[in-house]
Amino acid sequence: MALPHDFQFSQGSLQDYLDCPLRFYLRHVRRLAWPAVVAEPALEHERHLLQGSEFHHLVHQHEVGIPVEQLSAVISDANLRRWWLNYLETGPGDIPEVHYSEIVLSAPAAGHRLVAKYDLLAVDPGKRAVILDWKTYRRRPGRRRLEERVQTRVYSYVLVQAGSDLNEGRPIEPARAEMVYWFADFPNDPERFRYDEHRYAEDEIYLSSLIEEIEARAEDQFDRTADQERCRLCRYRSLCQRGVRAGDFREAEEEREAEQELEIFLDFDQTAEIEY
Amino acid sequence: MTQSVGLSLTEQQRAVVERPVKSKVFLEGPAGSGKTTAGVLRMLHLLDSGVPAEAMLVAVPQRTLATPYYDALHSPDLAPGGQVTVVTMGGLARRMVDLFWPLVAEKAGFGQPESKPTFLTLETAQYFMARVVRPLLEQGYFESLVIHRNRLYSQVLDDLNKAAVVGFPHTEIGGRLKAAWAGDPVEKRIYDEAQECATAFRQHCLDHNLLDFSLQMEVFVKHLWTLPLCRGYLLNRYTHLIADNVEEDTPVAHDLLRDWLPHCQSALVIYDEDAGYRRFLGADPESAHSLSELCDETVRFTGSHVTSPDMEALASRLARSLDRPAEPASGNVLSVLSYEFQRYHPQMLDWVTGEIERLVTEEGVPPGEIAVLAPFLTDSLRFSLMTRLEQRGVPARSHRPSRALREEPSTRCLLTLAALAHPRWGICPSRFDVAYALMLAIEDLDLVRAQLLAGIVYRNQDGLPALGSFGKINAEMQDRLTYVLGGRYENLREWIEEYAGGPEAPLDHFLSRLFGEVLSQEGYGFHRNYDAGEVAANLIESVQKFRWVTDEALAEGEKPLGQEYMEMVEDGVVAAQYVRSWRLQPEDAVLLAPAYTFLMANRPVDYQFWLNAGGRGWWERLYQPLTHPYVLSRHWPRDAVWTDENEYQTRQEALYRLTRGLIHRCRSKVYLGISELGEQGFEQQGALLQAIQRVLRQVQAEENTTPLRSGGAPDV
Repeated sequence: MALPHDFQFSQGSLQDYLDCPLRFYLRHVRRLAWPAVVAEPALEHERHLLQGSEFHHLVHQHEVGIPVEQLSAVISDANLRRWWLNYLETGPGDIPEVHYSEIVLSAPAAGHRLVAKYDLLAVDPGKRAVILDWKTYRRRPGRRRLEERVQTRVYSYVLVQAGSDLNEGRPIEPARAEMVYWFADFPNDPERFRYDEHRYAEDEIYLSSLIEEIEARAEDQFDRTADQERCRLCRYRSLCQRGVRAGDFREAEEEREAEQELEIFLDFDQTAEIEY
Repeated sequence: MTQSVGLSLTEQQRAVVERPVKSKVFLEGPAGSGKTTAGVLRMLHLLDSGVPAEAMLVAVPQRTLATPYYDALHSPDLAPGGQVTVVTMGGLARRMVDLFWPLVAEKAGFGQPESKPTFLTLETAQYFMARVVRPLLEQGYFESLVIHRNRLYSQVLDDLNKAAVVGFPHTEIGGRLKAAWAGDPVEKRIYDEAQECATAFRQHCLDHNLLDFSLQMEVFVKHLWTLPLCRGYLLNRYTHLIADNVEEDTPVAHDLLRDWLPHCQSALVIYDEDAGYRRFLGADPESAHSLSELCDETVRFTGSHVTSPDMEALASRLARSLDRPAEPASGNVLSVLSYEFQRYHPQMLDWVTGEIERLVTEEGVPPGEIAVLAPFLTDSLRFSLMTRLEQRGVPARSHRPSRALREEPSTRCLLTLAALAHPRWGICPSRFDVAYALMLAIEDLDLVRAQLLAGIVYRNQDGLPALGSFGKINAEMQDRLTYVLGGRYENLREWIEEYAGGPEAPLDHFLSRLFGEVLSQEGYGFHRNYDAGEVAANLIESVQKFRWVTDEALAEGEKPLGQEYMEMVEDGVVAAQYVRSWRLQPEDAVLLAPAYTFLMANRPVDYQFWLNAGGRGWWERLYQPLTHPYVLSRHWPRDAVWTDENEYQTRQEALYRLTRGLIHRCRSKVYLGISELGEQGFEQQGALLQAIQRVLRQVQAEENTTPLRSGGAPDV
């Protein structure tokens, strides 16, 4: 299947493919808007997603140099305040001093571009490069589950592939890269994944073959997932005849983030500029 | 690298692209001379030269103009690295205000600096403007104006935007407009009233942390650009600038660039001659051209990668026909111009679509290389063309679907069902509306049976809408309606009843549930109906954004958000935008578009069809009694009066720029669709037709060919 000419792969789209090939096709290839409720209770779910998004924004504001007092003054939500205090008091700990907040890197992969949007990259050129990913999950996933997430592979791989500008022009050696998931509600229990040459070589083969597999599929070969549990929190469930009501997000084993759920549905860039 | 992304260089492009990294170049030239391609290649060259992508900023006045840059940046052949930032100045302002808000909220005069900002879309800005202005209208403001309220609101917003992008205090709007008014002095009152509305709206925004486009720009320019942290963030980060189509950007955007350029290591400022199509949005080509003073050198591209000498001759002759200066160009104008006179408008459309079919089927022209252009593309004109092309088997696409969101049948269906599910709102749809909603909601239910069903089950009980049960209607009627459809109706009714018995959900959540749990399920009208899904998604997004920005405002009153939204839909304030197309449109299809939209897409085609070439729309400005793009510009003398001569000259100039821009984006031929009577049945003798006729007369004099009579049949 020919993908759109501007198609870029991301950890989100690849995870969608791994979770459900049809979901990948509908969401990323067809870009089909299907506005069913994703999860119940809908208002609480929406609030949770937006709080997560606000937390990321807050940390970004902190990283660009806005004083803590002024940031703290605008927080009225209890969850956000708790996460913020956890971040201030028990942040990610020992990380290099040079920070790149909300940075995007991309690299070619199997004839397409593979994009990674990082919450924070902390670099000590020539020595260490640490990927930090903020998670506002209600439950802390286990190490194995995080390791299986394609995000862990994509982020580390793309950093090594595309991070030389952040490393004084020299490629980042895989053994000097590390990925850290920091949980706003479990600040003392981050999860660290060290990278190495072996993983890097494995990821290159894995990600390339995954993209090639997707491209080799005909449009009618993007099947529904066999795991119907996933359909409970998928907006396309009525299209696939996989249920009526949305599942309860509080009971879900895996959480999705604002970026994953809202990106296709809301155009945050829309401003009041009048176009022809 | 430049070769690998599919673009190749000419010598004049190479001279710009491969300059040393630390160069600041002002690049000008006509459309089609390869400037944007040079801009894209320069960006790639800088990346190849080791400039970090994060250090590069590409600024364009409108997102459509960024497409060539995005295409190059998304190429798999591009080396690994960071991301070049591609923005409009408005988008940059929005991002910076969002990022640095805690540092400027108080200083900028916001009433709740400890709370978050709320960014308004055009739709939500209109809503708040309506809230502010409606009481004034009831006091008799704008009595002498015959204009739809929404246009009134949008023009006051436009005034505020003009003040922000031109860079004058918003308190001067009324005074500037009054000073230029040449008509009855009594009418000047409307400008005072517009000023009062603008001032009241601005104060309302400041009091409630609301930021419309104008306030985003003002806060950015006045407070953030001067704030060391924000200024340092931008100037230190983005040390390589590419600003394309600066002639379409605003004076304030140019001020920012003027301030930014000295801090850059490299810059490429690209200026399209004879353009400035966005003047009515504040574009200022003169101000743009002055940026050349900040660059090390100016380079001018000549020639065209698009047009032939014959097409250049047409552009030149048409320019002189409109009394504009142009170098004479030799070429055969008649080889690139085709026309046929028709008496009636539908005949003209038949001729146009017939020619398109001939081009596609007989000459093998790809449909995507054909554009059908009109000054304004009305719904009926679009429908007529789409239908005709469809009948001829020619794929076509339009810049927008046929109807505003609120007029889409799926929207009407969803909102009618919402009214039925919220009886306490007291909104009672008509019986026909209920029948129509049921027809769309229930698969296989035709209008006749839907009307029968609605006639029996829908009741208005003391001003409250209610649906009765299918089980309670008589057996004969049940047979007629069928039990299958009755069952579907009953399921829908019970769903609504169950919802109505519980706590009220936000309207967008209600609509999402209705869509997901009923309407998109098997047996219902939205099941696997991607168009309906798209419309529903747009409506729900509109309601959601409305909810996010109005929660606080509505908390002050008693009215539920859903009810307020429904009333605003009826007033035409919200859901008036056109449905955004999520699905991929076929790229190899004939494009139907307003002429200015085509220009701002900046994508040449082989063949253009100019519809209604005799119509006055090619020459006239939009009727905007409360604003004025020329008077509210930097160049207009403060106390000068806008005369008929000014109006005539600006229209001539606009027509010249428009036609020149179109011709420079046409490779092979321009077809003129001409009918003696226009779409509305009036005779057409517009300025474009007259100008073309003068060209043809001149050509006839030189070559003894047949010109057109003014507004009529060809001379014989």
